[in-house]
Amino acid sequence: MRDFPLNNVSPFATMPDGQAHGAIHIAPVRTGFVFHVLGQATGTIDQTRQQQLQKMMDAIAPDLGGELRVLSPGQWFWVGENDVSQGRFGEIAGQLPGEFALSDQTHGRVRLRVTGARVCDVLAKGVMIDLDEGIFGVGQSAMTQIGHIGAMVTRLDRDSFEITVLRSFADSLWHELHHMAAEFNGPHS
Amino acid sequence: MSSLVKCPHCGLRPREEFTIRGEVPTPRPAAGADESVWFDHVYLRDNPRGQHREYWHHSGGCRRWLVLDRNTVTHETGDVVDASTLKSEGRA
Ligand SMILES: [Zn+2]
Repeated sequence: MRDFPLNNVSPFATMPDGQAHGAIHIAPVRTGFVFHVLGQATGTIDQTRQQQLQKMMDAIAPDLGGELRVLSPGQWFWVGENDVSQGRFGEIAGQLPGEFALSDQTHGRVRLRVTGARVCDVLAKGVMIDLDEGIFGVGQSAMTQIGHIGAMVTRLDRDSFEITVLRSFADSLWHELHHMAAEFNGPHS
Repeated sequence: MSSLVKCPHCGLRPREEFTIRGEVPTPRPAAGADESVWFDHVYLRDNPRGQHREYWHHSGGCRRWLVLDRNTVTHETGDVVDASTLKSEGRA
């Protein structure tokens, strides 16, 4: 548990929402939380363990909601839309069984949403996974890269994706996504 | 995109997501083995033509160390397993 308060400031704070009328909408997610859950490192992604963890989370913190996005064997991002105070985070971290460690990454991993009918055409310019709905369906997440920037890509809906990126890369990725979307958004939109 | 590698955790990914460390030198010598045996294990590589076992790190995905079978002539990749499986089999 850290002994200093973290001040969550969006890296996108000064950026105007300039493409509200474009075909591709790119918007920061300014609320909610990202917790990094670290379990025992094993050689496989264990679905049963994930379900047990989800049950524990629901019991410990029913107020938070949110979902688990698998990152690696024994590692998840617990992501939700409600803001969580640092006191509440400490309570939750203390209640999880000792085999799990919880780290508040809300300040370190920032989220943005990319939405629009041609969103797959935009993302396909950079992401390294197949975005076909039959392969990467709604609700699925993948840790991958967008160009050279590591990011977690989550499909929220057919034409809507959430991207979780390290804060220090967020600004670069933001501009890259706008370049990738430019052909669909036009110069004045 | 070039060669696709099937990560056991993440599925098919392009090789750009991986960092390649090199040959899996096995078996690992005993801790007290002769210095020349350790020198061989740490520094000397065979550079074979054909099947080759290599350590790959999925640095752009799950960040796990993997062991991959690769043919150095055709670049075809075969089995990809999590490196921890070698440890449990006593092969690393
Ligand atoms: Zn992987």
